[in-house]
Amino acid sequence: METIMNYLDNMFATLPKTKQMKAIKEDIFSNMEDKYNELKRSGKSENEAVGIVISEFGNIDELKREFDIDLNEEKEDLPSLTETEVNNYFKENKKNSMLIGAGVILCLLGVSLLILIPQLVSDGYITGFLDGGDRLLIPFFILIAIATGMFTYAGMRMGFGKYRSIDKRFELPLYLRKSIEIKNETFHPTYTLSVIVGVVLSILSPITLFIESTITGTASNYGVVFQLFIISIAVYIFVYFGWIKMSYDALLKIGRHSKINK
Amino acid sequence: MHLISSDVIRGYNDTIILYMLLDNDSYGYEISKNIREFSDEKYIIKETTLYSAFNRLMKNGYIESFYKDETHGKRRTYYRITQAGKNYYKEKCTEWDITKQVINRFIKEEI
Repeated sequence: METIMNYLDNMFATLPKTKQMKAIKEDIFSNMEDKYNELKRSGKSENEAVGIVISEFGNIDELKREFDIDLNEEKEDLPSLTETEVNNYFKENKKNSMLIGAGVILCLLGVSLLILIPQLVSDGYITGFLDGGDRLLIPFFILIAIATGMFTYAGMRMGFGKYRSIDKRFELPLYLRKSIEIKNETFHPTYTLSVIVGVVLSILSPITLFIESTITGTASNYGVVFQLFIISIAVYIFVYFGWIKMSYDALLKIGRHSKINK
Repeated sequence: MHLISSDVIRGYNDTIILYMLLDNDSYGYEISKNIREFSDEKYIIKETTLYSAFNRLMKNGYIESFYKDETHGKRRTYYRITQAGKNYYKEKCTEWDITKQVINRFIKEEI
């Protein structure tokens, strides 16, 4: 019985909490309760009974549509996006993606330094500088700290910015939708290419190790560092182009939900 | 067994419910149970369909609701058909008669 109650609570969660809705919910619950008890009496198991009762609940959108007037009033005054705002949205997202991409690069760079510095020291390229074990961590932590700052900053901009959850807070005028759809289509090959390049780079990155070992005879830490470098480029490509794609998806999603309901 | 799709029957849910109220006042679960039995279990009306229809019928003044306490203490919302509801029901019956004739023209027993 509790499962049914929870199910109903979830179903009615998105509906306005009016007296009328409460009454309907109570009546439906009472019906479901009756049905459940009767199924149990006819020898159905707990699970079967709950399953049947829930499957015969129907579609909550039907009730939403029936009480359309109340729901539409709430939705009506979503602000329309202008062309400038759409452009700003893209700029904003690009900036955030660059921040996050660069942050990832800094993290990998930090790790690279942990490998690179001892190697340089042992090869005699650096002497007396940062060769103590603990001091080695200083550049690493500085880079990680900067990266964390960038992640946090980008996160804050996304979490509190004007364009957060854009698809639920704005309307998209038809003419803008069309132009965005066209831009999205022209962007698609670029996106596909970026994914391919990123994947190829990731797969090929260990090759630096092989190349190095064929040239010098041994695979050293320099190869690892170079591999990390290539991987960070790949990650940057994924983040940057992935973000643009996400911007398009979010923009084109506007109005989609409500249209399906009607 | 073939269950009737809710799309096909949509325009006649109101008629079905009004029919169930012609002779007796009734409440949600009883109405849906009777519909199931009357249709030889071929049509099971969903809760949301039932309550959308109740709302529509009440808005149009075809039915009225009232509370009734059952002997074992459960308080139920009962529905009663109004004169306007009976008139509407008759109209829908005529409409169905015509619809049936028209659709039948396009139905072949065998192909």
